Amino acid sequence: MSETPEGGTPLADEYPVYLPDPVVDAAMRMIVELSAQLWVERERRMVTEQLLESRGLLSREDIESFKADPTQVAAIKAERARFLEDVFKELKRIPVGPTHSKSG
Amino acid sequence: MSKVIDSLPSLARRSDAAYLDFVEGFREFILGKGADFEDRLNQALVDEAARRGQDWQDVEHIREFVQQQPLGCLRDRLARTQQEMKWHALVRSFDEQRAKLVGELEHWASRGPGDLLLDPEFVPPSYVNVHFHLQPGGYFKDELSGFLYHWGTKVFFRGDNDADQLHARLTRFVPTPADGRVLRILDMACSVGQSTTAFRRRFPEAEVWGVDYSAPMLKVAHRRAAMLGDEVTFKQALIEHTGFADEYFDLTFAFIVFHELPLRVIEETVREAARVTRKGGVFAVYDFARTADKSPFQRYHRWFDARHNGEPYSQDFCDCDFDGLLRCYGFRVDATPLGQRAGGSGYMQNWFAIRE
Repeated sequence: MSETPEGGTPLADEYPVYLPDPVVDAAMRMIVELSAQLWVERERRMVTEQLLESRGLLSREDIESFKADPTQVAAIKAERARFLEDVFKELKRIPVGPTHSKSG
Repeated sequence: MSKVIDSLPSLARRSDAAYLDFVEGFREFILGKGADFEDRLNQALVDEAARRGQDWQDVEHIREFVQQQPLGCLRDRLARTQQEMKWHALVRSFDEQRAKLVGELEHWASRGPGDLLLDPEFVPPSYVNVHFHLQPGGYFKDELSGFLYHWGTKVFFRGDNDADQLHARLTRFVPTPADGRVLRILDMACSVGQSTTAFRRRFPEAEVWGVDYSAPMLKVAHRRAAMLGDEVTFKQALIEHTGFADEYFDLTFAFIVFHELPLRVIEETVREAARVTRKGGVFAVYDFARTADKSPFQRYHRWFDARHNGEPYSQDFCDCDFDGLLRCYGFRVDATPLGQRAGGSGYMQNWFAIRE
């Protein structure tokens, strides 16, 4: 619980836990995050496919047979790290210990 | 695309925009009929009150009951998560283009139309040291706080205010003084100036001022107004000590600011509004509705929003006698619930007060 600068309702801690089990609480956050990541990818794929189709630039087979060069591999790995941080950052917020931390 | 939307800075990546699009939709889903948390939890509260044979008296008892329900815990988790996701995405996107965005603000700072009056000696009071709505850095600690706020409210309004429609509508509802004279208008706590420019458009001959303590907000407000061609003046000052002459304004306006002030400052701000508004002038306020008349779940949500969404002063405001305070400082009050959705159906109210 955090006090405010001048009265009012005390503020919740920075990382409150709302569900009875903090691991389930983190899992719920990750599910929402995964849903967001899934939507990001789906939106991009839809745009890409529509552009490819409308401009006649690439076929689906070109995408399937694509081989990344070292620079492209590095870029993909950097994006993967960003993805992992987005989804699994919640793991760092699970409190240590068996007690249930209530949001209050 | 309208000019208003152009005043929002671009995000660093298309994926950032898609991510925020998800958050906006998710917010709509969990706060609206999609998940239907509100109606179901409220019905559970109503049923429990009937079982106990008495209405809910204290929000603390409502809180205990809601937080014992798995659905209540889940709803709180998701409500907090969507807000955290929004800021996470926005901060990262702006960090990737920080130098460019700061340059944008500097570029527009010395350009018109309109003026930007910053006070280099200004020291923010301690009560503003809050991360309102969980915005990292609050309203003034990040040089990009104004851009963050503007994007954050875009998601908050769930797509209903992308072209400032809400500000245009709410400022249009404000009545003019009985004598029809509107030469000077003050927008108290103007943030990024959406109401300020809306008033200028409604009253193109009027001298329109926006006042706020946050320099990052005012820089974005000025950039936005200048881009739109709206000649207004933004001034850095406290709304409880604006520095204007007595009875300078015909119309004084405050949009969703009082719930972000401690009770002491609420009273000081009403006193300041009474001082700078001329006799017969209008003081128009839009803010959170009183909780006393609300459903049990809405009372719970007010508590949750205060404690878990960085709104520490909001519950005190919603519990106070704001009508009485306005009357105490010489206003005649006309208060009604706001029918249109603005951050949640029934959560807002307007006070159109006449300076006597």
